[in-house]
Amino acid sequence: MDIGLIAQQTVNGLMLGLIYSLVAVGFTLFFGVLDVIKFSHGDMLTWGVFTAFSVYLGLTLIGLAAPVLILVIVALVAMAAIGFLGAAIAKVLIIPLKGAPPLNTLLITLMLGTVLRESIRLFYPDGANPKHFPALLPDWSHSWGHFTLRFDNALMLLTGLLMIVLVQLVIKRTKLGMAIRAVSQDEETARVMGINFNLVVYVTFAIGSALAAFAGVIYVLYYNELSFNMGLLLGAIGFSAAAVGGFGNIYGAIVGGFLFAMLQSIGAAALPFASAYKDVFAFGVVIVLIAVKPTGILGEKETERV
Amino acid sequence: MQNPLLSISNLGKKFGGVTALVDLDLAVPRNRIFGLIGPNGSGKTTFFNVVTGIYPATSGTVVFEKEDITRFSPQKVYRAGVARTFQRSRLLLPLSILDNITLGDHSQLENGLFFNLFRRRALAAQYRQLLDKSRDLITIFDPGLADRIFEPVVNLPMISRRRIEICRALISNPKLLLLDEPSAGMTHEETHRLIDDILQIKDKIADLTIIIIEHEMSVMERITDHCAVLNFGQKICEGTYQQVAADPEVQKAYLGVD
Amino acid sequence: MSEPSRTHASLLPSVAAVLAGAVYMVFFLAGESQMVVFGLLVGAVLALAAFKHWRVLDAVGQSARDHQGPFSIVVVAAVAAVCLYFYDDAFVLFLLGTVLVYVLTCLGLNIQFGFVGVMNFAGASFFGVGCYTAAVLTKHTALPHLLIIVLGGLLAALLGFVILIPVLKTRGHYAALVTIAFALLFKTFLEVNDTLGGPQGLKAAGLNLFGWDVGRDIAIGDFEGSFYLGYIAVILLLAILGFIMARRMEDSWIGLNMDAVRLDETVSACFGQSIPRWKITAFTIGNFYCGVAGAFYAMMLGYIAPTNFTFGDSLILLSIVILGGLGSLWGTVVATGIVIIIPEKFQVLQEYRFLLFSALVIAILLFRPQGLLPRPLRGYRTLKSLPGKS
Ligand SMILES: Nc1ncnc2c1ncn2[C@@H]1O[C@H](COP(=O)(O)OP(=O)(O)OP(=O)(O)O)[C@@H](O)[C@H]1O
Ligand SMILES: [Mg+2]
Repeated sequence: MDIGLIAQQTVNGLMLGLIYSLVAVGFTLFFGVLDVIKFSHGDMLTWGVFTAFSVYLGLTLIGLAAPVLILVIVALVAMAAIGFLGAAIAKVLIIPLKGAPPLNTLLITLMLGTVLRESIRLFYPDGANPKHFPALLPDWSHSWGHFTLRFDNALMLLTGLLMIVLVQLVIKRTKLGMAIRAVSQDEETARVMGINFNLVVYVTFAIGSALAAFAGVIYVLYYNELSFNMGLLLGAIGFSAAAVGGFGNIYGAIVGGFLFAMLQSIGAAALPFASAYKDVFAFGVVIVLIAVKPTGILGEKETERV
Repeated sequence: MQNPLLSISNLGKKFGGVTALVDLDLAVPRNRIFGLIGPNGSGKTTFFNVVTGIYPATSGTVVFEKEDITRFSPQKVYRAGVARTFQRSRLLLPLSILDNITLGDHSQLENGLFFNLFRRRALAAQYRQLLDKSRDLITIFDPGLADRIFEPVVNLPMISRRRIEICRALISNPKLLLLDEPSAGMTHEETHRLIDDILQIKDKIADLTIIIIEHEMSVMERITDHCAVLNFGQKICEGTYQQVAADPEVQKAYLGVD
Repeated sequence: MSEPSRTHASLLPSVAAVLAGAVYMVFFLAGESQMVVFGLLVGAVLALAAFKHWRVLDAVGQSARDHQGPFSIVVVAAVAAVCLYFYDDAFVLFLLGTVLVYVLTCLGLNIQFGFVGVMNFAGASFFGVGCYTAAVLTKHTALPHLLIIVLGGLLAALLGFVILIPVLKTRGHYAALVTIAFALLFKTFLEVNDTLGGPQGLKAAGLNLFGWDVGRDIAIGDFEGSFYLGYIAVILLLAILGFIMARRMEDSWIGLNMDAVRLDETVSACFGQSIPRWKITAFTIGNFYCGVAGAFYAMMLGYIAPTNFTFGDSLILLSIVILGGLGSLWGTVVATGIVIIIPEKFQVLQEYRFLLFSALVIAILLFRPQGLLPRPLRGYRTLKSLPGKS
């Protein structure tokens, strides 16, 4: 394999890793504040993408022609809408189930994911078929030998990394982040300290969901295609990434996301005859890792209080 | 002490930065009621959890019946003859009283797949035996509960739940019974009824040693033969209840004076 | 000591209910126009609501619980009668056969989820293992078909071992993750695997039992019936067997042990339970049920394709279990009927079934988490009726 190809693979892997990390961070945030797995997360991404696509269609319809401006509006609207949807779901479905067995929440959100997915398939115009998403970034590129670095890819990677850093800063440095961490550590104490628990949960779900929408926008900009069931596998991957990194730990989610992408690349390289097995390989390794270390790579061991 | 049932030496337990038990030495004599006292968070429950194998000890040893059980799993500790109740009552709420008590007798039951699926008559015989045994046991505490043995425990008041929990621990005839604040959540009067029951049980079963954790001092005074006091995970005093109660250090620990 | 005296309910209410149900099924299944079927459906819901209001349902339930044996026999007889009524209607018979196949599958999932609490999101995959086993073995070997059905179950159980360790080692949601990944990958695997027919799938030979070609129409004297009657007879027997085994498991120490593991692992451990043991037992037996059902289904259907074994199908199977009530065996039977028959009778709904059932499960989990027919408390009733020899 020549250097150019490897470099190409690396960019590809980084891009996927970034997307997975963004999804995984959502999983980890939700788990942190409420100890729940919100499996509809992948389908929230799909909804984000379809919102973005609809907004794009709307904007071109009213004659807006500046692609970059369109992109910014599209991304912001998608993030806001999905963030809002995430908070609403937390209010209607997740907080009411707080006392129930944790598996119920997982089940409910899984079913919710199906509802989200199926409603796109059934109710979005021609929703059952994949759609083309236009390239909204300029197609500048620079070549070194066989390797071509596309400007849009570089920009997407950069924005994505910035987004991760931003979330990290919000969690670590702001008052809001402190409230989120307090709730994650110990709900009761956080309440006693006067933190509005429900509000923190809503905001956390809004942030996580908006991140999923953001990840979705990057995903369609990269692959230029969207379909109603794109979120299912992405959700499962984000879940695995969060699990293998250690639930409740943001760094863990990021590490897990990039790890998963790396495993896929290794799988694709090692099994060139059957690239469909790259996911089997990646999931397999992740599952083994979880079996060996159930708390995840960066997760801390917590003993249940008896 | 000669031939104690349970001897603890140098036992330590840390949770990350929190030290719950420090260099604990205890010898629990046979067939006695041994009291464990200490302010909140002093490590009493942790001691039970380490002995029963729920938490691994950070250091030290636990010897039960001359056998080192420090590294035993909870299952093996139970099979060695140690049964317990939980501070926050942990019954299987949707299940019946009978099922909850039966669970305690796991090691006596035939658990094989073939036996349970195909040897139904033998199973039925075992079931009848167990039903009688559970009824007899719960009757000692509360005959009313024996009549309601097929009802779910979720509807029962705290005192009944505590009684069932003690029956669950007793049905396997353990050598050592660990009671973690059996009176938590009860009225004063209920507490004393429960203590009567425990004394009655102790009389009926010859070979039974009990370690009891309690905050209610009158209870401790009434039933224990011997007490140890923990503070910040350390044993600060040991002796009969009167000796312990008179100890200035204990009073200091309870009043929170430095 | 004697039982606390409680008057036994009469057998009558439950028998009447089963008869009414059978007659209703006949009308419902025979209904041609969508309006009639819809009317019947609404009628059933209203009638049930009214009966519940008048406490008729409680009486029926009590009667059924007090007379489990006779009640079960009446139910089986009623199912047989309904099938015989439609003796030459291949569509209805196939539908009823499919319901029974899924009853068996969901009983297996109920053992896993309802009894021991292991959530299996790959039910359709294990079912698929059974299907492919049957397709491949009927084509390439001369093994007796009954053996092939058993092998389908064994292979599914065996494949379950692949993901067993993570299922055991880790708490609830990891088991969910692992089975979800398994379900997603299983379909991909089938689609790219050319020896297993790829996306087109495989043909499976019809069932042949000891020389009886079940795939042939039945003619006994003047009576001529669809060959599906034969298939129904076989799957009915399998489902009954599966039901009895599940019931025995429930009414035994194993059921108690599994409940304990599901409800509180710490307490179970403190009373000597081996937690992996019961999880493995339930998971393996459940997958065996799925595989057996799948192997039979492949033979009844004649062909199989990966599209039958998607993650969505697994979710439908799990929906059945939740809808019926966790751990409730009769609930599973009733819920399977509802979930499989209704979309088939309403072609309009067919397209929307994933959406509808997901929404239904959300509603159930929010408002009636114990399911349609909540699991009764273990009363060891099947043991009490046995003569004692102690
Ligand atoms: N699973 C755990 N993880 C972390 N810390 C723990 C855990 N269990 C107990 N601790 C800590 O260990 C210390 C001792 O707790 P323990 O429950 O043993 O006290 P206790 O004497 O039983 O108190 P109480 O009278 O309130 O029941 C406490 O500081 C507690 O916070
Ligand atoms: Mg305590």
